[in-house]
Amino acid sequence: MATNRWLATGNYFTSYKDEQRIFFTHLDRSIFAVFLILLFAWPLFFDLSNKYMLVINNVLVAVVAIIGLNIVTGFAGLISIGHAAFVGIGAYTVASFVRVIGIDHVILTHAWPLVILVAGFMGAVFGAIVGLPAMRLKHLYLAIATLSFQMIFQWTINFMPFFNQGQTISVGRVYWLTGEVSRRQHYFFWYYVILVVIVLTGFMVRNLLRTRYGRCLSAVRDNDRAADAMGMHPGLTKVYAFGLAGFFAGVAGALHAYLYRGAGIESFTLHESITYLAMAIVGGLGTLHGSFWGPAAIRVLNLQVETVSERASALFPASMNLSTALKPLTFGLVIVLFLMFEPRGIANWWRILRSYTKLWPFRY
Amino acid sequence: MSYFFQLVVSGIVVGSIYALSGLGFVLIYKSSKVLNIAHGQLIASGAFITYALTVWLGIPIYLSFIASMVLTFFLAMSVERVFLRRLIGEPIISVIMVTIGLMSILDGLIYLTPFGTENFSFPEFLPNTPISMGGVSISWTQLVGVIVTFIMIGAFSWFFKKSTSGISMRAVSDDQMASMSIGISVPKVFGMAWATAGLSAAAAGTIIGNITGLNFETLHAYGIVVFPVVILGGLDSILGAVVAGIIMGLIQQFASGYLDGNWGLNGTAEVLPYIILLVILLFKPHGLFGIHEIERV
Repeated sequence: MATNRWLATGNYFTSYKDEQRIFFTHLDRSIFAVFLILLFAWPLFFDLSNKYMLVINNVLVAVVAIIGLNIVTGFAGLISIGHAAFVGIGAYTVASFVRVIGIDHVILTHAWPLVILVAGFMGAVFGAIVGLPAMRLKHLYLAIATLSFQMIFQWTINFMPFFNQGQTISVGRVYWLTGEVSRRQHYFFWYYVILVVIVLTGFMVRNLLRTRYGRCLSAVRDNDRAADAMGMHPGLTKVYAFGLAGFFAGVAGALHAYLYRGAGIESFTLHESITYLAMAIVGGLGTLHGSFWGPAAIRVLNLQVETVSERASALFPASMNLSTALKPLTFGLVIVLFLMFEPRGIANWWRILRSYTKLWPFRY
Repeated sequence: MSYFFQLVVSGIVVGSIYALSGLGFVLIYKSSKVLNIAHGQLIASGAFITYALTVWLGIPIYLSFIASMVLTFFLAMSVERVFLRRLIGEPIISVIMVTIGLMSILDGLIYLTPFGTENFSFPEFLPNTPISMGGVSISWTQLVGVIVTFIMIGAFSWFFKKSTSGISMRAVSDDQMASMSIGISVPKVFGMAWATAGLSAAAAGTIIGNITGLNFETLHAYGIVVFPVVILGGLDSILGAVVAGIIMGLIQQFASGYLDGNWGLNGTAEVLPYIILLVILLFKPHGLFGIHEIERV
């Protein structure tokens, strides 16, 4: 085919395989490569303080979790009001390792990639269990099932002495090829680890959506009866979507535990679950790069709200609790406004921007 | 044995409040198929309005109870009008998300008032001494609360069975197309359902506030406990909500009475409803009285 492999002027697909490509043009591919190299290289040139590094790492952990939430809510169309609990399962898997084999055991310090994987599988198992009602029911009931899982999770952590009753369980430092990761390197080290995980999960999900298992998800979301008629099993597909989401959530949770060097219940409450939902909506449900926009936008907004409320609380009487009030208020407003005016999220703005630059100076 | 009856009595007290909260939830679900996640916030705001009217403005509590119901009626109606009306026809997933957002907004608004973090209690207007009968005691507040709850439930049932708006609500829940074709304004019915739900939430909130004191955390927790209640009763059955509410209250009281402290268990009353919920969803998803119209996909 004599089309320009660098700048496509339109769709010249002659086979389904063409349409399924990840990168349509060489330009896309090279831009992506440059972007990736930049992501890996910038910490070497800028010496950011630990505070900002923590914020960035925080966003990246949330990205892993949101990729999972996007599978279940975006692609499979099932609301999960318990995503923080699945993330918590991952974090508490690491914490259970600490409680059982001790904080300095070689598995936790040297074989931590394995621990992260195990945490992912634990998340997947719990996700599949919670998704089981999907065999019989449709989405409304599933939302309630995830909500009740969230409540059961919180109770279990809060009341069991094994989990330190919700108090933080410390996780030790890890070892890398060059020895123990020191206090100074901690955030940089985990930045790279999480980045690698994100790139891997990103490609995994992108590839998943090209296979029958991925397209099965959106088929069931769009019309479950038609999907059933085409030979898919809608119930099993939903269970499997929950399992997959649980896996990514578990990985995110383990990363969270290692990053913060501890696991405590306050990071996995119902409120956090709602925050995750807000991230997924703001980013754009059912799009992969929405999973990157959402966490970044919400976390940055969160920081801004914090500074604003700190400044403003001096102006208002103390009884108004501006700092506790503004966060949920802005969250709620962001969710509602996005749903009412831009249901496709920031990912849609990105799409518009892309097509605008591509077609410029013409309008369409 | 008197311990058992004491648990039964307090179970019925808690359960009747669950019944009233579940009622409002079911009203919304039945007519518009929306899961109202913000129900606990409606309950809390109803209770706080009553408190503000009674204590800050000095209105007698009977009047402020009614005034609070009226105000929450309009609050819920305007919530429906502003946020949910424009989402009619959107996928159900975004409607539920909107109620989640609404929950956050109402949370934020309540945190702006002193009610968000401080504890208040209603002034006592009933005799202080509990009524005792054969070792079982119930306080006057609880007794009056239960009586008011059952009056409210009776009034709602009458409203549903006999009044024109109630009948049109039932018609809409049965078949939207058909009810539109006979001239029922479906959006109006949705608004009406939210408004009555707000009214019942205010009643429930005020009664809870009188029995347990005003604490935002406790009050909005009722909005979450309502889920196991309505699932047990069947999501779209008003009778189910009432019966299941009382069953759930009894289960919770028995759990905290007999399970806590044994076998190293603690706080079982908080978690048992959700375990029951998951079990019901797995084995009898339409609950006790729900319509068997569940699509198996």
